[in-house]
Amino acid sequence: MADLPAVHAVPAYRQRASVGETLSRMLRNGGLMAVVVLYTLYSALPFVWVGTMSLRTTAEISANHFAWPETFHWEKFRIAWVDSNFAQYFWNSTLIVVSAVAIVTVLGAAAAHCLARYNFRGNRLVYFILFSSIVFPPQIILISLFQVLVEYDLYNSRLGLMIVYVSLQLPLTVYLLESFFARIPQDLFDAAKMDGYSDFEIFWRIVVPVGMPAIATTVILNFIQLWNEFLFAVVLLSDQNSRTLPLGIRAYMGDYFQDIGMIATGMMIAVIPVVILYAFFSEKLIQGMTAGAVK
Amino acid sequence: MAAVHLENIYKRYKGTAQAAVEDVSLSVKDGEFMVLLGPSGCGKSTTLRMIAGLESISEGTLAIGDRKVNDVPAKDRDISMVFQSYALYPHMSVADNLAFGLKRRHVAPAEITSRVNAAAAVLGLTELLARKPAALSGGQRQRVALGRAIVREPKAFLFDEPLSNLDASLRVRTRNELVRLHKQLDATIIYVTHDQVEAMTMGQRICVMNKGRVAQIGKPLDVYRQPADAFVARFLGNPPMNVLKARLHAEHGQPTVRLAGASMSLARWNRQVGAGLPREGEVLIGMRPEEISVETAVEGANSLRGVVSGVEPLGAETLVLVELDDGAGEVTARVHRDITASLGDRIGLRVPESAIYLFDAHTEKSIPHDGLQ
Repeated sequence: MADLPAVHAVPAYRQRASVGETLSRMLRNGGLMAVVVLYTLYSALPFVWVGTMSLRTTAEISANHFAWPETFHWEKFRIAWVDSNFAQYFWNSTLIVVSAVAIVTVLGAAAAHCLARYNFRGNRLVYFILFSSIVFPPQIILISLFQVLVEYDLYNSRLGLMIVYVSLQLPLTVYLLESFFARIPQDLFDAAKMDGYSDFEIFWRIVVPVGMPAIATTVILNFIQLWNEFLFAVVLLSDQNSRTLPLGIRAYMGDYFQDIGMIATGMMIAVIPVVILYAFFSEKLIQGMTAGAVK
Repeated sequence: MAAVHLENIYKRYKGTAQAAVEDVSLSVKDGEFMVLLGPSGCGKSTTLRMIAGLESISEGTLAIGDRKVNDVPAKDRDISMVFQSYALYPHMSVADNLAFGLKRRHVAPAEITSRVNAAAAVLGLTELLARKPAALSGGQRQRVALGRAIVREPKAFLFDEPLSNLDASLRVRTRNELVRLHKQLDATIIYVTHDQVEAMTMGQRICVMNKGRVAQIGKPLDVYRQPADAFVARFLGNPPMNVLKARLHAEHGQPTVRLAGASMSLARWNRQVGAGLPREGEVLIGMRPEEISVETAVEGANSLRGVVSGVEPLGAETLVLVELDDGAGEVTARVHRDITASLGDRIGLRVPESAIYLFDAHTEKSIPHDGLQ
C-alpha cells in the first residue's frame, strides 16, 4: 500500500474556530449590538412618539397615548401654521436666531483668532473674563438684563432678544474656536505673511477655511441652543406677534388644559429646521469634534 | 539673486537678560549656499527669521543686495522661505498653493499659470497639481513647499530645517535634489540645520552657531579640520571629537602633555610656548576618533592605555569606547570592522601627533600649531 501523503500543519489563521469561540464572538458582537439598539430606541422613540401625536387629535391621544395614527390629521399643521400664527413665530425665530448665529460666528471667530494668535497686553485677562462668564448660569443676569433692555427701549423687541442671544453665546463660541485656532501651525501665518497677505486677509483666506469644521460645529450648536431657547424669550418678549416658536408652543398650554395634540404638532414644526441643518452640517460637526484627535 | 549681509545683529526678547542672537555678522555672497549649523536653541532659526522679516532686529544692520531692510516688511524683501513643516495651505490644491503668493502680487493670470507649470515640471509635480496636501506624501509636500518658493523668483531662498520631517533615505535623495537645484538656479540660499551631514554635504560655507553667537564661519572641510574652539570641534564629526583635560609640562625642552599615564609630544607647538601655549598648567587636548588606532601592546610617545568600556559594531566600522588609565576620561576610537575587542580588555591607543588638537582650558579657543601661524 502506498504511503499516505504527509499531512501539513494548517496555519492558525486558517483553522476553523471552535463552537465555543464562535458562540463567544456572537455573544460579544450581539451584546454590543444590543446596547446600540437600546440606545437608538431610547433616543429615537420619544421623537417618533411626538411625531405620531402630531398627526393625532388630542381626544385620540387621551384615549390611547401610544397608538399609531388611524387617520393622519395633516390639517393640524395647517391649523398651527395659519390659525395659530406659527408662520409668524417661525419667521421670528428664523430672523432672530439666524441673525444672532451669524453675528456670533463672525465676532466669535474674529475674537478667537485675535486671542489665539496675537500677544497683546491683556490677552489672558480678556480670555479669563470670557471663560468666567461661561462658568456662571446665564439665568442670574435675567433680571438686570430685563432692566437694561427696558432702559434702552429694547424690551419686547426682536432686536433686543437677538442682542441678548449674541451676548449669551459669544463667550462659549470664542472659547471653543480659540482652542481650535491656536492649534493652526504658526508657519501657515508666516508663509502667508511672506506672500504679502495682510492680517485680515490671512484671517479670511487661511483661518476661516482651515477652521471651518470648528466654525460649523459652533454654528450648529448655537443654532440648536438658540432655536430652542425659552426662558429669555418668555421674559423679554411680551407682544404676541414677536413670539418665537417655543413661545408659540407654550401658548397651547393653558392653566387647566393642555392641547397635547397641537403641542406635538408645534414641536414638529419647530424641530424640522434643526433636523435639516444637522443633516447638512453633520459631517463638518464630526470633523470639528474629532479634529486634532489623531496627529 | 542677491547677496545678504548681516552686521552686528542682536535679538533680545522682552523679559530675558540673555540675547537670543548676539553680535552675529555674516556675509552670504550672491549665489552662495550658506548653512547655519548649530544645536537646538543656538539662535540659527531666529537669525533666519530676522532675515525673512518674521522677527524684528533689536540691533545691527541687515542688507539684501545693496538695500538695508531692517524695517522693510517681510513681503517686500523679495525672498522666499521653506519651512520645517512645509506650511502648505491644507484647503488649497497644489496648484493653488504654488499660485497663492503670486496672486497677491497681482501677477497676470497667464504668467501665474506659466510659472506654476514650469516649477511643477522642474519638481515633478505636474500630475499632482489638482491634489490637496493631505493626499501627498512627505517628500511630495516638501517639493510643493520648494515649488512655492521657486515660483516667486526671489533674490534669496531661506530654508528652515526642511528635511527634518523626512525619513533617512528620502532625506538623502532630497538633499541631492536641493544641491542640484542650487546649481541649476544659481540661487543664494541660507539653510538652517542641526544636522552636520547636511551642512557638510550641501553648504559651500557653513556658519556654526552656539548660544546665540557665531562660533566659526568657513568651508565645511576647513571648519572640520581647523575648528576654532572645542565646541565646533565636538559638534562636527560623528562620533564627536574626544576632548580631554591634560597637564602641560616640558620634557627635554619640548612641550608635552601627560594623559592616562602617558606622555604625548607637542613638538608642533614649540614656537607657541609662552605665547598662545603656557609652559605649564591645564589644557584641553582633542583627538578625532578616526585618527586613533587601537593596538594590544602600545609603547612610546603618544600612546594611551585603558580598558574597553564599550564596543559598537556598526557593520562598516566599529566604535570602541575606552576608559583611559588614571581617570583621564573616556575616548571613542573608530576602527576597522575586523578589529575585535571585548568589554574589560586592556587596550592601547596610538594617536599620531598630527592628529592632536589643543584648546585653551578656560576659553576653549583653539591653540593653532606652528604650521598654522
